[in-house]
Amino acid sequence: MNVEAHDRRFIVLMLAPIFLFLVFFYGYPTALNLYYSLTDLSLLGMKEGGTYVGLEHYADLLTSKDFYRTLWNTLFWLTGVSVVIRLVLGLGLALLLNSATLKRYRLTTISRLLLLVPWATPPIVAVVVWRWLLDGRQGMINKFLMNIGVIDEPVAFLANVNTVWPALITIIVWNTLPLVTLTFLAGLQSVPDELHEAAEMDGAGPIHRFFHVTLPHLMPSIVIMGLLLVFWTFNNFIYVWLATGAGPGLFTNVLATDIYIKGFVDFHLGYSSAVGMVMAGIMAIFGVIYFRLVALREFKDVL
Amino acid sequence: MTFKFTAAATAIALFASGAVWADSNIIFRFNDPESEAMRAALDEFEVENPDISVELQSFAWSEARQQFLREAAVGEGPDVVHIAFVWPRDLGTAGALYPLNEFWEEAPLQAGYDDFIASNLAIGADGGIYGVPWTTDTWAMLYRTDIMEDAGITAPAKNWDELRDISRTIHEETGKIGFGFPAGSGVQSTIWFLANYYWWSNGSALVKADGDGFDVGITEAQIAEAMEYFDSYMKEGHNPQSMLGVTDWYDPAIIEGMTNGDQGVAIVPPQQAREIIAAYEKRHPGEEAPFISAMVPAGSEASSTHLGGRMLGINSNSDEPEAAWKLIEFLTRPEIIAKYYGNQFPAQQTPLAQIDFGATMSGFAEQLAVARTWGAYSDGPAQIGSMWNETGRMFGSAFIGERSYDEAAEELLNTVKDMLDK
Amino acid sequence: MASVFTRNKEGGGHAIRRNPYATVALLVLTFLVWIFLVFPVVWILIGSVRTSETLFSTTSFDFTLDHYKTIFRAGFGRFIANSLFVCLIAVVISTVISVMASYVFSRKRFRGKRWLFGSVILGQMFPWIILVTPLFVLFAKIGFLNSYIGLIASYVAISIPFSVYLLVGYLESVPRELDEAATMDGCTQFQTLWTIVFPVMLPGVVATATYSFLLMWTEFLFALAFLTRTNLKTMPLGLVQFFGEQNVDWGAVMAASAVTTLPALMIFLPLQSKLAGGLTAGAVKG
Repeated sequence: MNVEAHDRRFIVLMLAPIFLFLVFFYGYPTALNLYYSLTDLSLLGMKEGGTYVGLEHYADLLTSKDFYRTLWNTLFWLTGVSVVIRLVLGLGLALLLNSATLKRYRLTTISRLLLLVPWATPPIVAVVVWRWLLDGRQGMINKFLMNIGVIDEPVAFLANVNTVWPALITIIVWNTLPLVTLTFLAGLQSVPDELHEAAEMDGAGPIHRFFHVTLPHLMPSIVIMGLLLVFWTFNNFIYVWLATGAGPGLFTNVLATDIYIKGFVDFHLGYSSAVGMVMAGIMAIFGVIYFRLVALREFKDVL
Repeated sequence: MTFKFTAAATAIALFASGAVWADSNIIFRFNDPESEAMRAALDEFEVENPDISVELQSFAWSEARQQFLREAAVGEGPDVVHIAFVWPRDLGTAGALYPLNEFWEEAPLQAGYDDFIASNLAIGADGGIYGVPWTTDTWAMLYRTDIMEDAGITAPAKNWDELRDISRTIHEETGKIGFGFPAGSGVQSTIWFLANYYWWSNGSALVKADGDGFDVGITEAQIAEAMEYFDSYMKEGHNPQSMLGVTDWYDPAIIEGMTNGDQGVAIVPPQQAREIIAAYEKRHPGEEAPFISAMVPAGSEASSTHLGGRMLGINSNSDEPEAAWKLIEFLTRPEIIAKYYGNQFPAQQTPLAQIDFGATMSGFAEQLAVARTWGAYSDGPAQIGSMWNETGRMFGSAFIGERSYDEAAEELLNTVKDMLDK
Repeated sequence: MASVFTRNKEGGGHAIRRNPYATVALLVLTFLVWIFLVFPVVWILIGSVRTSETLFSTTSFDFTLDHYKTIFRAGFGRFIANSLFVCLIAVVISTVISVMASYVFSRKRFRGKRWLFGSVILGQMFPWIILVTPLFVLFAKIGFLNSYIGLIASYVAISIPFSVYLLVGYLESVPRELDEAATMDGCTQFQTLWTIVFPVMLPGVVATATYSFLLMWTEFLFALAFLTRTNLKTMPLGLVQFFGEQNVDWGAVMAASAVTTLPALMIFLPLQSKLAGGLTAGAVKG
């Protein structure tokens, strides 16, 4: 057997399992979803199947006012704002943990350990506990804020249109910030000391050093982390659904909860599949951009 | 090789031996938290029917319907299912439930078909009977008598305006929450019940029978009026804004508020009323709990609430419908319900009439006497679940000012019309 | 070593040490961050040992372990065991498959590689919620409902893309000379991967496996749809079981929450330093 054929057999053998998983768990369901999205299939009529309605659901979707609000919620609030906040806070917290002061008082290790607590908390639990804390009547946060006189009347954080998104984002940040922080901390600790020393010799102050030494060094981590957060958050269903149920009204509805509401609450599987396809489509566009701009560079030795 | 084969055969035989004694194995999916007590009931059933063994499953109510529909469509699922009063019709039409007509003819249950409450809800569009009413209840008002006294109120509200006056007075006189109701718009919102009680007592209904078909039985103005009425509680501040974030009638905010006396009035099913009273008694041992129950207010017509409850159905895929029917017969016996499932009332007229509700809970007894079924709501082509969700969303939307009352009312009305036209 | 010493003495700490206000401010800030991080979990722990009657009361507090008894009587121990079983098997399968694939992606050149690697990577962005109904229909046909095979396979499927992504990144830090030397010594490719390269990439594999585990440990939607038999249920299902329609057993929810969080925390403690670095290791290096 020649080397090339041998090599080919090895490659096929090693990739066969992942390929099978891709086909059965991504390819096949996506194709079936695409088909569903062209029918009026209902959960009540799954036995008979749906009738073909063509692009009707897509037309309905693209002309519905609620859909654009849902899209905006998903892109701006759920994904955009929450990711930016986590990156900024994560960086700040990493700098704090890496600061000489904390090191001097030996607080870095314990801080790192405490960071594990929210990270290890399952999202379902995180939402449950924050719902209590943010509760408008019995919630600790309201009681605390009233005691110190910041507010006179309790605020229903998860029901008030002015506070519901910040409250939701607080929950998401609490649960996922540790990962971001620890990643950046690892990055900070890999900044060669020589770089700082050289900059210091040149008379650079801490701010100058941050922008010209630390930040450039961390930039690849920040970009990758940002992208991972976007992927994870955009598709996330659990935070919004359990915290607000997409309410008040449909004020915090996002694409993932819309799929759930349309498909599993209202039973319109066809329509829900159409929303799902739109969602997958948006992610695919995003994915291609990511692939061209970042992955090709990130994996330049691979591809 | 031979050895291996023998070993495998033995293993299979051993594995199966659990089932050797019972001729039928059936699965009962029960969605309430009392699964421990229910298991005890099933044990008694198995003693009575040694040829049948029952596996108990539990499932969250919020996901129960979609899960069962999926399962039934692909030939899976439990044999006996625990379903809400308003589901059997849809589930029957979807082919998910087994028609029980023959069973009713051959082996009628308890005091007979006519003794069961709301059994009309079990009849599908094709005339099939798809469920057996199991338990029933309705909602009533619960008042804190001590807070009423502090606010100088002597009697519970007879109509909706009085209720709002009482609520306002409590807030003005004591600084407490008056009538604290969940105004949230999540799935299975409480506001759906309140809105319907309000409409029914004022002579309208979201859905009414119209000759052979169905139509909306309400105008945009009447919907908007209900939105404005309930919104006024939040606007005036005696039901706090925070209740916009509360969807469930069993939310701790209400249970705790009523228990610790932050809130004067609530609307609850009997189970929550008992829970509140029990919590109060536990915190104040020896004291008499300061609660009375009373009827839901009347409008231009008499007070009216829905007859809620649960049914039992048989999966259309069941291999053991006879065994399943035996189990249903056992579970609907009033004495079994009383023994193992005491929080609930049997959905049968004769045993229900014999229950002593006691003085505190007498409002529930009065209310039960006038409660109505969903009637046209469940007979018509629109699914109650969808109308329920849409109502919650539109009320929520109006409450937060996202839509005006008129806009929200119009949208709700049109959505329901669309559903009825299908 | 010398440089670190120097910097601590005269470098980083220098500016701050001269300013006591800044030091105090930083310490206060750190303390506030600590509260933010742990308060919710502490609150769960406290709530889980309060009696149901005083759970939401601000004035009284009665200690009890009843909630823990309740959840274990309701089979929570079984749910944890089930979850561990499903997640551990799925993690092993997912990691082995991902190691194999990432090795080939990292070391081999072949036609269609960009497409294949690209689609694996895109899998990370896939909205899994749209998989539920199609997979349910598929599993019903082949008898995978109420069977761990279906659930495990789904968990492998959802964790593969991220695992491959992490491992390919990690493999970039493993010198190619290592493989070449092994081949020279007469190892087959298979041997090279498992006996030479795999031990070197083990830290990356451990980090990857941990991420996969966490993803599966809290997964809810698939488990809900695919498992209905009580004795098969996994922990997240056990947790939501305490949310009844008419009432929620908040004490049990809190106790179950505490028990749910603990295993993940125990995995984290020894691994914490390896986990965070691994995420962008490839990126930082590349």
